[in-house]
Amino acid sequence: MPHSPSSGPTGHLLPAGERLNRMADAPSSISSRKGLSSAQAPGSPVRDVGGPVTRLLSSVRDGRGFDIVLVAFPLGFLFLMAGLPLLYNVLMSFQEVDMFSLGTLMRPFVGLKNYRDLFAQPETLPILANTAIFVVGSIAGQFLIGFGLALFFWVNFPGAAWLRGLFLVSWVMPGLVVGAIWNWILSGDFGVLNFILREGGIISANIFWRSDPNYSLYAVILANIWLGTAFNMILLSVGLAGIPADLYEAAELDGANAWQRFWTITLPMMRSTIGAIIALGLIFTLQQFDLFAAITSGGPNNSSNVTQYWAWEQSFRQYDFAKGATISVLMIVFVMIASVVYVRSTRHEVRG
Amino acid sequence: MGIRKYAVIGALALAGVSLFGLSARAEDVKLTVWSLDRDIQPAPNLVAEFNKLNNGIQIEYRQIQFDDVVSEAMRAYSTGQAPDIIAIDNPEHALFSSRGAFLDLTDMISKSTVIKPENYFPGPLKSVEWDGKYYGVPKATNTIALYYNKDMFTAKGLDPNKPPQTWDELVDAARKLTDPAANVYGLAFSAKANEEGTFQFLPWAQMGGGSYENINTEGAVKALEIWKTIIDEKLASPDTLTRGQWDSTGTFNSGNAAMAISGPWELDRMTQEAKFDWGVTLLPVPKEGVERSSAMGDFNWAIFASSKHPAEAFKALEFFASQDDKMFKNYGQLPARSDISIPETGQPLKDAALKVFLEQLKYAKPRGPHPEWPKISKAIQDAIQAALTGQASPKDALDQAAEKIKAVLG
Repeated sequence: MPHSPSSGPTGHLLPAGERLNRMADAPSSISSRKGLSSAQAPGSPVRDVGGPVTRLLSSVRDGRGFDIVLVAFPLGFLFLMAGLPLLYNVLMSFQEVDMFSLGTLMRPFVGLKNYRDLFAQPETLPILANTAIFVVGSIAGQFLIGFGLALFFWVNFPGAAWLRGLFLVSWVMPGLVVGAIWNWILSGDFGVLNFILREGGIISANIFWRSDPNYSLYAVILANIWLGTAFNMILLSVGLAGIPADLYEAAELDGANAWQRFWTITLPMMRSTIGAIIALGLIFTLQQFDLFAAITSGGPNNSSNVTQYWAWEQSFRQYDFAKGATISVLMIVFVMIASVVYVRSTRHEVRG
Repeated sequence: MGIRKYAVIGALALAGVSLFGLSARAEDVKLTVWSLDRDIQPAPNLVAEFNKLNNGIQIEYRQIQFDDVVSEAMRAYSTGQAPDIIAIDNPEHALFSSRGAFLDLTDMISKSTVIKPENYFPGPLKSVEWDGKYYGVPKATNTIALYYNKDMFTAKGLDPNKPPQTWDELVDAARKLTDPAANVYGLAFSAKANEEGTFQFLPWAQMGGGSYENINTEGAVKALEIWKTIIDEKLASPDTLTRGQWDSTGTFNSGNAAMAISGPWELDRMTQEAKFDWGVTLLPVPKEGVERSSAMGDFNWAIFASSKHPAEAFKALEFFASQDDKMFKNYGQLPARSDISIPETGQPLKDAALKVFLEQLKYAKPRGPHPEWPKISKAIQDAIQAALTGQASPKDALDQAAEKIKAVLG
């Protein structure tokens, strides 16, 4: 074979543009033997063929330009679909918006008035506190139960994979449907939960989960834990599966007990997975709207109201779009922080 | 070859016919109507009947969801895509008329032989008014009254023909009827933190001498105290705070509540579901002889100011109004008209209930009209919820509401 053994694999690993240049520089005998296009006939190097337009086109087809197009397309998409609405939302939070000026962009600017008004409202701090309780409670519950389940299925007893799949049902169900079902479960007079607790001797009188301000927020947290646990379990299972088994074998040989193995191998090896899951959980929890709409509507007396539901209430119930936008901006800040944590935690992941 | 020739001729003929058809249809004035009515409710049927008249006006109907009516309408209007005609919930009407989004129909109504203001109940009519002008036509109306389970009255030694007439009698009856062992509450109503809560509470406040501009009168505070008594003594389910009217009345139908405050929209379901003898009576008053009041619900028709065919759109409204006499029979809704006598349905319970609701309608008062109604309503809902959850006394809660409303009214 005249084919040089070194140029093949090397060329393959080089960036596309580089490869093209190398081919052009190669002796004419090789290019003709390899049957390249007529433009690259012997004696006429590619560099001189065609003007800048052709070069640009060919670079888009197979060169640096191609890389740029690949990046530009999703970036443009992201900017159009997420960036613009986000900027628009921030803009609205500094404007005076009413329903009839919704269609225009240039509305009277009011500076920080919307923000000042927001924090002057007596319900703002309790709602922010509710949001914090909701996020922490939901993530803690979802993560702990999800981790427990993941470890349980990791044992790999017969039918484990099958059962684990079934657990995903809760994650597949739409939030509004889950909300409607939990609405019945949590119902004060005829709810299943009260029935079980009563029959189990845990409570003597019905708890009005949805209507008692002391319980309403926890009622939604309960439903949200149920909804998100399966997702946590699956991601954690994937993380667990990625830990090399020989680490455990070695540890076992060294006499480490189960707890020590968990504490010194499993947890450190899962660090980036756990970071990612908690950050994703924060984002998903701050997005959770359906359950509030279906179970408590944020009531009674805002006792289960959280920022995401409140923003919607302000915009689409009170038609105070500026106030709704202002609340959303506050949320964006929190989600941004979560995203940074998420990106940082996945950066350490080893790929390939 | 022959087949191809015929095919060409056929195609040409078809094109000719459809061209003819298109040109014929192009002469028709096209209107669009938006409403939340489903297939068994008036609007789509009225539109279909109107289109059959072939009077050169064709209407396209679009159903929108209850929750989306206002936001869809706003978005459409601000981007110049508004329909010609829309059905809008009566407390939201002023929001649009005050901004000039709805067409002033005063002149057209004064010339109309079909739509005459004097034929309408005062409450619904007031809700289409803004600044002394008419910006719409009431589509239908409803109100609330007290349903009661006659069998339970008899069982607890109450006279089934003498339902409670005053607030004190109502609380007394509720106490006697409440039976936790049998899972029965005395009363079912809705104090939900949405428009339904306001809808249910405002009549009580009005009977107590209050109004939305003046929500903290002594009588209104007393009304909220009565509500609090009912909740605190568990004469009504604590879930009253988060349950809408439809679900609350469901517990009445299933025999888990002895009385229920709700509207005529329940009649069809109740006749089917309730396995007991029931009746309806007027909403109890604070004391005998005090002026009655009730809530007023349901939608109004309006024409958008941006409509290119206002005269034709009004013609459509005239047609809709001319069919009001069939509304109860065909769709179970009450026309907002005092000049129409509704024929009997042949179901004694329903007919008796209808009489009470028609009587109650005379006292029905609109919410507002005010362009910022949602904010006023929210203040009232917050007061109800704060008082009923014990986070503020009824007086403090209503004082706060009054302050918030004052800020809105300016």
